[in-house]
Amino acid sequence: MRLWRRNKSLIYALHPEKIPASGARLTYTFGLGGITVFAATVTAFTGLALTLYYVPTPADAHASTVLINDIASFGAVIRSLHYWGAQLMVIAATLHLVRIVFTGGYRPPRELNWLIGLTLLVVTLIWDFSGYVLRWDNGAFWALLVGTNLFREIPFCGEILYRALVGDTQLGASALLRFYGWHVIGLTLIAGFGIVYHLWRLRKDGGISRPSLENGGTPAFVSRDTLLFREFIAVALLTAALLFLATFFPAPLGPAANPSPGTSEVRAPWIFLWVQNLLRAIPSLWAGIIIPLAVLGLLALVPFLDRRGPGRGVWFARARWKPQALIALLAIIVVGFSLREALR
Amino acid sequence: MSKPWWIFIAGATVLLAVGAIVWRENHRPWQAWQERYNLQPNVTPIAIGIKTLVPTRTGQPELCLTCHVGIEDISPSHPATAVGCVICHGGDPLALDAGRAHGNMHGGGNPSDLSVAMASCGTTDCHGGNADPEQNHVTRVLHSMPATYAGGIANVRYTFGAQASPAAQFAVHAVEDTSKPLPPRALTSLATLGTLHPIDAQLQQNCLTGGCHLWSPAKSEPYYYRSTGCATCHYLFDDEGLYRGNDPTIPHDQPGHGIVHRLTTAIPFTQCNHCHNRGTYSLKQMAFLPREDLPPAGPPLSAQMPAEGRRLVEYYQPVGDFTKCEIELNCIDCHTAQEVMGDGHIYGAKPDAYYVQCQTCHGTLTSAPAVETIRDANETAMRQARIDGHADFLSVGDQVVQTARGELLWSVKQTALGQFVQIDKVTGTTYKVPLVLGSRCAQDGSDQSAKYCHQCHYVTR
Repeated sequence: MRLWRRNKSLIYALHPEKIPASGARLTYTFGLGGITVFAATVTAFTGLALTLYYVPTPADAHASTVLINDIASFGAVIRSLHYWGAQLMVIAATLHLVRIVFTGGYRPPRELNWLIGLTLLVVTLIWDFSGYVLRWDNGAFWALLVGTNLFREIPFCGEILYRALVGDTQLGASALLRFYGWHVIGLTLIAGFGIVYHLWRLRKDGGISRPSLENGGTPAFVSRDTLLFREFIAVALLTAALLFLATFFPAPLGPAANPSPGTSEVRAPWIFLWVQNLLRAIPSLWAGIIIPLAVLGLLALVPFLDRRGPGRGVWFARARWKPQALIALLAIIVVGFSLREALR
Repeated sequence: MSKPWWIFIAGATVLLAVGAIVWRENHRPWQAWQERYNLQPNVTPIAIGIKTLVPTRTGQPELCLTCHVGIEDISPSHPATAVGCVICHGGDPLALDAGRAHGNMHGGGNPSDLSVAMASCGTTDCHGGNADPEQNHVTRVLHSMPATYAGGIANVRYTFGAQASPAAQFAVHAVEDTSKPLPPRALTSLATLGTLHPIDAQLQQNCLTGGCHLWSPAKSEPYYYRSTGCATCHYLFDDEGLYRGNDPTIPHDQPGHGIVHRLTTAIPFTQCNHCHNRGTYSLKQMAFLPREDLPPAGPPLSAQMPAEGRRLVEYYQPVGDFTKCEIELNCIDCHTAQEVMGDGHIYGAKPDAYYVQCQTCHGTLTSAPAVETIRDANETAMRQARIDGHADFLSVGDQVVQTARGELLWSVKQTALGQFVQIDKVTGTTYKVPLVLGSRCAQDGSDQSAKYCHQCHYVTR
């Protein structure tokens, strides 16, 4: 208890003293931003544990992953926690973005934070993909081959970008080392600073968005002790859920990468299944580069499509129909093509 | 709900999850296999734990024996401590998950399947890539008639008018022999059998599937069980095809497994029977007609039926003359490695490749069999004696029979008294070899068929 009294000011710094009740309602935010931060934390610490065994060379990458998974004490659980933590982060971050759109959380002055959040989502996806690559199993190797070759399709600078990414004229030791460096250090730094800045910006922009009083908002507040307690319970339950997932649904790992052609069906990680499905149908420059960038560009437009008017802080407000229609359309496209690929 | 309730529920859930992790850590699949191993009768129980093997040949740790605890050493020539598992089987040596451990394996459970044998058995310094072609066993077998099926294909196509002469042109898979000079009657190449002629499709269907050659898996029926590739002959199956060893992961009640995980060169006639004594090949119907007189597979036939019946069942039926032989030899006592696995060259018909005859060991009216002296402990004949498990039968300086093609028959030697003695390669029984020279035999040197010699040399059983 003395420890708590001494340090509570640090923990208290996470939240303002009083939080508007209508913004802190579970059915308003579903705690998705918090879940994302929680998932990122779990992933970071389990990732740290994995670096104690993982060897980023083509000869040893898969073998050391097998060692972690099959031999090291509780290695399978830690690796699975890392995997499920990362998947939870992708899902929670995406749903967080959707929540922001449907409740109007991007409204001024929050445009900049929307763009930061969007960048963090992209970082999360690259983080996830680069982690998938580090398994160096057959599926990951071929997905990396397809993914990196997409860069070569870019006119004029494609080859240079490919070299910068892969560090060689073909996939090999330098590609693995670069993905390892980015996954473990580069993206972690970017995501870490990004998350802190995202949260700081949120406080600066007035805290969690909420309905105005005439829109059903209440002048009531909850204390940060109450909020912290709720968060503590949520973290405990989520931890248990991740532990159960990690125990009974271990992270996948295929046989070692076999670079001879035709040895494996190429299967993108689930987050990019929609891109893979597009690649089957249209030229790869369009499917792999232009369309994903266009989706990103459209998402970046969200706070500029709808800047003022009624509907702030209200789920599915009709007055803000433009961004909601856009995100629904994008969701249908991404989910539809993903399902099409998954059910092939 | 009040705060304490929430704390209780959250705490209990976390504890339950941690309990699940600990339980899972102590109930991994390999632990279950080891517990099953310990439950088997006739085994010394082992301590549960990961079993690491570091074969001297690779120096790389392998954990295969963690699950495959109790599996038999594949042969005295390939001890696991030296060779390990992965050189032959491929797979992932560190994985303790069945799916991953067995990914990238050579030929599934059988690394000697001819589709992969060059990458497993036939790697350099093993049974391939040697300066002495005799030791490149995989190449020899790939060129041999049990693998090409050249004679069978040629016979059927000729009979049905698909080719103008009975000379072999096709094989199951194309083969080519670039060595020079070629021995008499050897061919330079055979093409893969395609569908040039209308009957070829039927030929493929009826004669190249179902276990007619070394590439093709056998019927999954009692008496037919066998492996493919090198293991067709060297990996012994019993009539029921059941595994009877100590590896808990190999099902003991599902047929289709060898008796134990063991390769041997001392191949008993029962193994040959899985292909060669199971029926007749009807040219007219272009079909295999299975025997119908076999008793249900089960206990050894000697326990099931009287001697003469057993011999009819056990010995090659289509040429019943063998069943009259005065002594019981094993097939490999006459059909040597050079005959069965080939000499590395391609032949199109059995008479072109097979050359061991009665007179090879019994001599002729005018001469004793040709003999040659063993000069070196490492020459092929000595090696074969060792590998077959009869090292003490032969020593340097012994004289052994030499065939017309120069192959030394290590199992037939001439004693100091001039007598010839043969050892059965499988059972180790020794026999005196009577000579034609000086006997009352009315041998016709030009007819050496089994039928001819067994006109006189037979016993009624």
